Parts: sequence; C-alpha cells; structure tokens
Amino acid sequence: MTIENKKGWISWFNPFKYGTDRWMYALHRLTGIVLGVYLMFHVVETSRILEGAVTWNSLMVWLDYPFGPHFGPLILSAVLLAAVYHALNGLRLTIVENGLMLPKPYRPEYPYKPRSLRGLNNFLKIFLGFFMIAISAVGIIYIFTGAIL
Amino acid sequence: MQEIALKGFGEVVKTVTFRVKRYSPENADMPRYMEYKVPVQRGMTILDGILYIKEHLDHSLSARYSCRMGICGSCGMIINGKEKLACQTQILELGKDLIKVDPMGNYEIVKDLVPDLSKLFRNHQKVKPYVLREEESPTSEYLQTPEQREEYAMFTDCILCGMCLSACPTNAADELYLGPQALAQGFRYISDNRDLGFEERLNVLDSKHGVWRCHFSGACSEVCPKGVDPALGIQLLRQLLTENIFVKHKQKGTTRGPERKSASGVS
Repeated sequence: MTIENKKGWISWFNPFKYGTDRWMYALHRLTGIVLGVYLMFHVVETSRILEGAVTWNSLMVWLDYPFGPHFGPLILSAVLLAAVYHALNGLRLTIVENGLMLPKPYRPEYPYKPRSLRGLNNFLKIFLGFFMIAISAVGIIYIFTGAIL
Repeated sequence: MQEIALKGFGEVVKTVTFRVKRYSPENADMPRYMEYKVPVQRGMTILDGILYIKEHLDHSLSARYSCRMGICGSCGMIINGKEKLACQTQILELGKDLIKVDPMGNYEIVKDLVPDLSKLFRNHQKVKPYVLREEESPTSEYLQTPEQREEYAMFTDCILCGMCLSACPTNAADELYLGPQALAQGFRYISDNRDLGFEERLNVLDSKHGVWRCHFSGACSEVCPKGVDPALGIQLLRQLLTENIFVKHKQKGTTRGPERKSASGVS
C-alpha cells in the first residue's frame, strides 16, 4: 500500500523558504477568503435595513463597538487592506500571467535566479506597493476620522 | 556509537542530526520521523549523509539516486522545508545542526524518501514532448537558426526531477493539474519552429486543469535545480494561447484534457 503524500490546500499558506511571489500568492488567497467571508456578512448586515430604522441604528452602533472601542473600525481597516492588496496584486497578476513585463527565454546561468520572478515583475510589485500604501493610508484615516485628505 | 569517517573527505567538522521521514508500505505503519547522528566532513552532501546512514546506522533506509552530480534528477527531496537535490546540497552550507529530510510532496511514496514519479511522466507524455510533423518520413533535415533555438533552449535543460510539482501549491490541491514541468515542456515544443503540433496540443494545454490553472506563485522556478524557470514558460504559453484565441480546436488524436468542455458544452 502506497500513501498519497499530498500537501493539500493547507500548503497554500506555507510560503516559507520560497520567494516573494510565493508569499504574495499565499496573501492573495488569504485576502480572497477574507473578502469572500466579509461579503457574505456584509449582505446579511445590510439586509437588516428591511427591519426598520431602530434595528438598523442599533446595529450600526453595535458594529462600531462590537467587542470594545474602535474594534469596528479596526475590522473595517483590515477589510480595506485586504481589498486593496487583492485588487492591486490581481492587476499585477493579470499583467504577468499574460506574459507581459516578463523576460524572453534566456540561458540559465549558475546560481540560477529565475528572471520571471525578478526584473519588471519586481518593479511592478514595488510600484503597486506604493499605491497600496497610499490608498490604504487615505482609507484608514477616513475610517477613523471621517476626513478625506 | 563510533563515528566512522568517509574516505575522500576531510576532517570531521561536526555532528548533525538527520530527521528522516520513514514510511514502509510493507508494514502498514503511519509515516514517522527517525533521527540519526551523522558526522559531517567538509564536502559532504545530504546524499552522502543519507548513504552514511544506510551504510552504518540503518540499512533499511531507502532513497533514490544515480549520478550524484545533479544531472539525473533522481534524488529530489524536501530538505529543511524546501525541495532540493540531495546530491547538490552541502550539509555545512545549510548551517543547521538539525536537518529534516522529507520525501517530495504531492506524489505517492514508494518507500521512505522514494516518491512514485509516474504522475510526472504521465503528464509529460500528455503534452506530446516530441516534434510533431505532418509527414511520416521526412526527406531532409528540418532547419533552425541559432536565434530560433534560443526561443526554447532554456526549457530543454529540464531533467524531470519533479521538484516543481512538489513545490507547486496548485498541484497540492488539484490532482489533475498538468503541473509546471509538463506545461513548460508544452511551451518548449510549441515554440520550436520545426514543430507543427500547436493545435494538437491545445486539447491538453487549454483545458480546465491545464495552463489556466497556474496562479503564478513562482515556487516551481524557485526550486528548479537547473534554472529552467517553468513559471516563465507557463506565462509565455498563456500569452501564446491568448494571441491564438481564434485557432480552432481540432480535437485530433486521443490525448484530451481532463473534463475539458468545448464552447458547445460537449467534452
């Protein structure tokens, strides 16, 4: 009897020992799941408006302070970060997965450093990373203070 | 235990512990880890360490190897959490006193550190890894310029060690996924100017478990011992398929992508 040594879906979240792209893959999966779960709760939450203004208002108050002060905005900030990361990394993947901004086939030379994970792909990561920081900063300031820069 | 130094190496520098995953299909035991103390000499590789264990400590340990110089691709295993060729990994370079050795993931285990690579070869075969031509008996050579050869040359370095399939997170969850090795080889033959099998290979490559299943985690390229960069091959293959989106699928030959559905809904 041989056994199947499958790593399984749990290995998606084990990016250790591999490169940046593997980390980004794990984060992309994680943020995708977070956003999916959030979306379901969001639909349930907003549907409560059908039960009238009193229920809605009390729900809004509870969502601001679900488990203590500032917990609601913290959850919202986490969702915002997940959304921004997922969107911008998705943009990068759309570009590179269509073979754009990737090198042409080359002759591998020792020590083998895969060029598809470096070069313009790295440039994209840094470029979109700046965008992510900027958008997240504006969003989080808005969530906590209600002010847009 | 008396430490026995291997001939041909230098002084014993230190003793490291090998934590090796053991599994024997003959005994229905669950896989378990066993620890062995190995005296390390300068220049010793993980494979030398495993052979030391086999020779002096535990004869029942199994591992597959052949060339001992990174050419045959037989000794791929997970060393301290990352896929590596045992014959190319120096013990001292790892800089650890505890070395965890696992068999490659996503394959069935034959015994201990020996994975069953049939899945790799099966997938490789599916993409028809040879030059396809219309004529049965060629009358002259098929010509190719050095520039044309450069378009696929890097992918010919693949030694079929199968480490990319072990590292690939998509392959970890999708049993039918073709895998980085087969897809990169698909690109290698499609981009060969002598080959005319693009449409014939579409059935397999452009399928539910084919090229679109890759999510570009880059793990395959990170672990490739020959620097083949299969992730690049897959993305370039996708580009090629997108550019040829209107090429009609001929559904020729017997090889078909698993559960592939055509536009009409008929598989």
